[in-house]
Amino acid sequence: MDGSLGPFDRATHRLRRDRAAASVHEAEPILAETAARLLDRLDDTTRHFERALDLGGRHGLVARALRERGIPFVVSADLSPAMVRRAAAHGPALAADEEALPFAPASFDLVVSNLSLHWVNDLPGALVQIRRVLKPDGLFLASLWGLGTLAPLREALLAAEEEMTGGVSPRVSPFPDLRDCAGLLQRAGFALPVADADTLTLAYASPFGLFADLRRLGETNAVAARSRRPLPRAVLAAACARLCPGDELRLPFVVATLTGWAPHESQPKPLAPGSAQARLASALGVTEQRAGEAPLAPPPPLR
Amino acid sequence: MTEPNDANAPTEAAPPPVDPRLLEILVCPLTKGPLRYDRARGELVSEQAGLAYPIRDGIPIMLADEARRLDEPPHG
Repeated sequence: MDGSLGPFDRATHRLRRDRAAASVHEAEPILAETAARLLDRLDDTTRHFERALDLGGRHGLVARALRERGIPFVVSADLSPAMVRRAAAHGPALAADEEALPFAPASFDLVVSNLSLHWVNDLPGALVQIRRVLKPDGLFLASLWGLGTLAPLREALLAAEEEMTGGVSPRVSPFPDLRDCAGLLQRAGFALPVADADTLTLAYASPFGLFADLRRLGETNAVAARSRRPLPRAVLAAACARLCPGDELRLPFVVATLTGWAPHESQPKPLAPGSAQARLASALGVTEQRAGEAPLAPPPPLR
Repeated sequence: MTEPNDANAPTEAAPPPVDPRLLEILVCPLTKGPLRYDRARGELVSEQAGLAYPIRDGIPIMLADEARRLDEPPHG
């Protein structure tokens, strides 16, 4: 069935999102918090944007925020047709896969993606496509769950399953490392790439509140290598007891933020190697020595 | 924060048109080639890929999984 390459079963993830479409607004505080932090970055630039894409935008929260900021043309895109149906009530919307973007080159001057790109199998490919749909000097802003997110849940499930069944299967997604994200942005051809992380701690009365939020966000398990058998109830109960021994569950969510610009000649960039007009040695007032060779004469005494 | 009216999307009388500004920038997600808007059938046709992407209630569904193969007859 899922002949896809990579860690995620995209068809299942789409179904999870379709199913979440009716109740996603109930988990809106999480989306709204990360969206607000993401869109704060727009205040750091003096650029005025005209054409924006909300990529993987579920029911269109970011698209609405961008319109409220005065951007005249904002498109909502999501993998789930059921989600974009809701987004379409507020403006132009379409169903699209981040791994196969249906936009002509230079269609937008801003692409924003809030909590979605961690489900993409081919993140390098998706980033290259995003860069291409941006006009030169267009901005890409994304938040995604980073390494460390749901780590206590992963550990509790693994320990309980191992102890009770003698085997384990992946139940929590692998999340990308921040350093990988920065490298990928650069390799995808973005100028001035930046990746940073922020931790959002969410408190729940019980693990079931967390599971409900994950369902409402369409974030439940779609790891390709997952077990198709449901998690035995006793294992779930043991995992919950490990995860939340007291009467409150506090979980860290690592929000990685990626920023990159589509290249443009006005941006600062390093000079090409060999293009220097003066020697470093003359600027420093020393004798030039060839790299990799032993000095011909002993270095001058320090004064 | 919540939007109670959202869940029941606008009921359709005539199929709403696709936003023309959106049509202008759409290409085939697989070939990145041009699309032909078949208004009568409500499809965006990629001759290069041999696929017709459906438009549902004015929303283009640009997913290869959901597209009709051009060598198969339409069924909707």
